[in-house]
Order: sequence, then C-alpha cells, then structure tokens
Amino acid sequence: MTEFSSALGVAASGMRSQAQRLTHVSENIANTDTPGYRRKTVAFRPDRGPDAPQGAVMPGRVQLDRRDLTKIYDPGHPMADETGHYFGSNVDLVVELADAREAQRSYEANLKVFDQIRQMSTSLNDLLRR
Amino acid sequence: MFDRLEIFMLASAQARHAAARQAVVAQNIANADTPGYRTKDITEFAEVLRSLQRRPERLNGMLPIRASEVSSPASPNGNNVSLELEMLRGVEADRAHSRALRVYGSAMEILRTSLGRR
Repeated sequence: MTEFSSALGVAASGMRSQAQRLTHVSENIANTDTPGYRRKTVAFRPDRGPDAPQGAVMPGRVQLDRRDLTKIYDPGHPMADETGHYFGSNVDLVVELADAREAQRSYEANLKVFDQIRQMSTSLNDLLRR
Repeated sequence: MFDRLEIFMLASAQARHAAARQAVVAQNIANADTPGYRTKDITEFAEVLRSLQRRPERLNGMLPIRASEVSSPASPNGNNVSLELEMLRGVEADRAHSRALRVYGSAMEILRTSLGRR
C-alpha cells in the first residue's frame, strides 16, 4: 500500500511542477509589453530531497531567456533614445501560448494517473472490506 | 486443492505487479519534461511468474520485479517520455489490477460458498 502513497506523491509533484511552470508562463504573458523584461524559463529536475518519493520532480532554478530584446520605434515614448527606439521585452506570445498548452496537457496527464491510482487503492480497500 | 491455493497467490501477484507498473507510469508522467530523463518500465508479469516458479520459495513475499530504462528516440533535451504511451500503460495496469481483484473476490466467494457460509 505504501507504493500507492508514494506513487500518489509522485503524481502530485508532477502537478505542482506543471502549475509552477504555468505561473511563469502567465508572468511572461502579463509582461509582454514591459520594457526591458526578459522571459522566465524553468527546467524541471528530479527531486532528491529526504522526504520526497522516489521519482518525484521539482522545478529547478528560474532562468532568464538571454535572447535580444525587441527594439521598438516610438519617438514619443518617454524611454526612447535619440533614434526614437526603446527596448521592449523578448516575450513571444505564440511561444508562451504553446508552452501553456503543453503545461496543461502534462498537468491533465498527471491528474489522470493520480485518479487511476486512487481508484486502484479504493478497490483494494473494498476487497479487504468484503 | 486447498493446501496452497494457487489462484490467490496468482491474483495477488498480478495485483501487486499492476500496482508497481502504475507507480512507474506515474514517475514517467511526472518527469515528462525533465531534461535527460529516460522512460522506465518494469519486467513483464509472465517473466515475474516464471522466475517465481523457478524458485518456489517466495523471496519473503516480495516479487522479483526490476525497473529498467527504455531506449527510444529522445527529444532535443534528452527526454524520451511519450505521454500517449504512458497513458496507455497506465490504463493497462489499471485493468490488470481490477481484473486480478475481481478474480480474487470470486475465488473468495467460491470458498465461502463451499464452506456453507454466505
């Protein structure tokens, strides 16, 4: 039965990590027009903590995308330099939306596995009850 | 017929194997985006049965299951988990588990009936 609880913990860690990934995606989307904003990316890594079940995953360090910021031409902007340009952000909405969809798909897969494990554990308990 | 009750041992081994498989599926799905992670799978149930029958003494109730990495084409970040395949494995494990439990339950019923108890 303990392997059911550790498997549930693994699925829950997957859901937490995908939710965290989605948080960063929404931060990026919200700051698409913030001048000087660099998009955040996060890579997952295995969770080897003392009380983490074997195979659990956790978000690693948040990193900033090193791509060039877009140069926007707007002479009337308060931050525009002599040529009339200022630096926007390096967020690409299409990339962020695709990432959000991926994160949602992974989250749902984790949720489905969580539900399956819970059902298996319940039917095992029902058998013992009879 | 009732001295070893093979059917109970078989059903319980099948259920435990399915549970172990589901645990590995959960690991794979949780790590579907971890760079460098390779899909894991466990020994097939037929193989487990064979090694159990070869050594009739039970290894103190534990099943001889081994997890190994599956080699398949990896994505650029080194991860080779396929979500669709994992969902399929999860459903298979689920069905094998409920099948084993049902077999166990029916065998219990037969035993109870033959004892004259309802």
